[in-house]
Amino acid sequence: MSRLVAWLCLRLRTVTALFLVYVVALSFIPVIHQLFIAQNSWLGYGTGAYAFQGPSYFVLFNDPYDGSSKPNIHVNPSFAPNERISLVEFSDWTSYVDGYNMFNDFNATFRLVSPTMLDIIYTRPGLTLHKLIDCSSPNYIAVKFVATKEVTAHFELWKWLLTDVNGVTEQNASKPTVIGNATSIHFTFTDQSTSASGTGEISLSRIPTAIEVWPFEHGFNRVTVDFINSEMTFSVSGTVNAVGQSSPYWSYNDLPYVLPLIAIIVVSIYLWFERHAEQDKTRPSRSRR
Amino acid sequence: MQNRIRLALAALAVRLAIAPFFMHSGDVSTIYESSAIALRGGNLYDFVYQQTLLMQHATGLPIFFEGYAYHPLLIYFFVPFYWIYGQISGFSPAIIGGHFPNLPVLVYPWALLAILMLKVPIIIADVSVVYVMGGLNLKKAEIYAFCPYIIFISSVWGMFDAFVAIFLLISYLSFQKSSYALSGLAFGLSLVKLYTIVLLPLYAVRLYGKGRDGLEFLAGFLPTLLPVAYYLAVSPTSFWNVIVTFQGGRVMGGVNLYNFIWIVTDVHFDLLVSSIPSILMIVAVLFISLMYGRRLPLLEAILAIMFASFLFGKVLNEQFLVSVFPLILLCEKCDRRLWVAPFVFIFLRSPFYYFAIPVMWASPYFYDLYFQAETIWQALQTYGYLVIPTYAVGTAFSLLLFRNLLQVLKSARPGGASIRWSRSLSRALRTLRM
Repeated sequence: MSRLVAWLCLRLRTVTALFLVYVVALSFIPVIHQLFIAQNSWLGYGTGAYAFQGPSYFVLFNDPYDGSSKPNIHVNPSFAPNERISLVEFSDWTSYVDGYNMFNDFNATFRLVSPTMLDIIYTRPGLTLHKLIDCSSPNYIAVKFVATKEVTAHFELWKWLLTDVNGVTEQNASKPTVIGNATSIHFTFTDQSTSASGTGEISLSRIPTAIEVWPFEHGFNRVTVDFINSEMTFSVSGTVNAVGQSSPYWSYNDLPYVLPLIAIIVVSIYLWFERHAEQDKTRPSRSRR
Repeated sequence: MQNRIRLALAALAVRLAIAPFFMHSGDVSTIYESSAIALRGGNLYDFVYQQTLLMQHATGLPIFFEGYAYHPLLIYFFVPFYWIYGQISGFSPAIIGGHFPNLPVLVYPWALLAILMLKVPIIIADVSVVYVMGGLNLKKAEIYAFCPYIIFISSVWGMFDAFVAIFLLISYLSFQKSSYALSGLAFGLSLVKLYTIVLLPLYAVRLYGKGRDGLEFLAGFLPTLLPVAYYLAVSPTSFWNVIVTFQGGRVMGGVNLYNFIWIVTDVHFDLLVSSIPSILMIVAVLFISLMYGRRLPLLEAILAIMFASFLFGKVLNEQFLVSVFPLILLCEKCDRRLWVAPFVFIFLRSPFYYFAIPVMWASPYFYDLYFQAETIWQALQTYGYLVIPTYAVGTAFSLLLFRNLLQVLKSARPGGASIRWSRSLSRALRTLRM
């Protein structure tokens, strides 16, 4: 033991080498997590948000302090598999059940039912509502509402920007317009951040009382669904068309691959700096004349 | 007038001029709220623990409310100034909310007065460091007095690591002058932010075998633990949860090589990985304390342990370096430019306008500007553009700390106590094997 200690004390270079390996080795943790752990399972983080990454959909359920993204369903486009383009965002800020606001008037708790199913339990006196987000299918994301009694519900689904909903465009619906009560909502959209266009579908398990579209600038930014029932499932699916650009597409999810590079660069700069500092020390000082 | 008094007054003037107009809303809100609770005679730890339970119940995740998680003594440095604020304002509410991720509601003009009053004890601590350092080396005192990083942490941010700085400095100087009781008392007070606890094994090693000196040190140190004993007796669950479970169960990150974890959105995994540096920190601190505790001069020994704890400690917030900055200035082997990295890091993690909330909230025009700037900041965050420099600066700072640690360790005397320690350790291990 004492020999080991003496060896370690004397070999500062070995200690330095070990530490630099430690720095670089740790930088691979995010990519290992992304590749081997963060797939097909709900994961909680931060102040209480949950996220799910499937083969083609990413779902975010925001923390209890935020009424938006409850959930926000994203699609991973084939041209940039790490990019997440929002397909539909359910908002608790603007949704109501029996006239009570989902965010302000209910007490919400989150529980994992299985690795692919998140259950959000909304309670208030005399009413319990479950919002089950089922990500078990690779083809769609199901958001299921189950109430303890029949309720009058008004749900708002947001997307910037829908260009067409069930054949209705902004040209023929310049004001909020009821577009019927079908059990399927087909839409096309243009994503504002990537300019990519895509299509999507929301299948409803029960007949709603009304589906309404809300115009915003050159399209619609939300669809509202009203229904009277104790149960309703929204099955959301969609695809994004390739954008015209061929250059590599940067997204937040590329970060795990970049961090090891950053670690190696910083460590190299450190080694270069150390080497020069050592050379300066060993160089004989010249006397001034 | 003595030069050091003049310098201390100049440092005071600079800090007071800035103080009312800036704050880190999360941290200042915590102190404001905690001072009010303490003045009412409430139990801070019960409050924080209840918030944690609510968060954990709502989310089903092992997450914690980030409130008052400090030594019980800390709040009593602020309470008198909060009381003075109350006497002037009639205890009018000044800062409402503000806990992350919420933004505060500020009530003018009282908010500016409350922010100033809560920063006065921090500024006094800062100025005390300048005054004490001035007695040792005026040039170095000047560096501390006008270092942008130090001024920012105390006067702009409103963070109180200057308390740790002054108490650690006093503890070191009094130990050198063999005033062990004062050294013990000052060390106990430096624990207001808990992270100096890593120095306890060092003091134990330095005082080992010096019966009377050790007793004197304990006589000064133990009274500072009385409030801890009180809270452990009256609300053990809350106190343990807030101080031990929260601090032990934090996800790593900060101005260090571990902040890559912020992009790994999986709290269970993050906690598991966070145990790697925790284990290494315990090993490093014990190793340095036992092997170098007596071989190094006290100043270098303190710095070596603090650097090792910063290096391997899982959380290293931007302000932690303030605590050892006076000692870094006194140490000839350390690089006094170390502050640059955490200073740069502040602006990568929080936008500058966030600290200017007291100014920006004062007018609808600036209020609007705040949210315009926030949109740009959020876009940068969304695309992860800030993660890369954040990680690079954190890693670079870790490497600089490592370099300084090695520099400090090189000043160890050969042989001496460390060899005796290592021999005893090997003997003990051999006995265990048998």
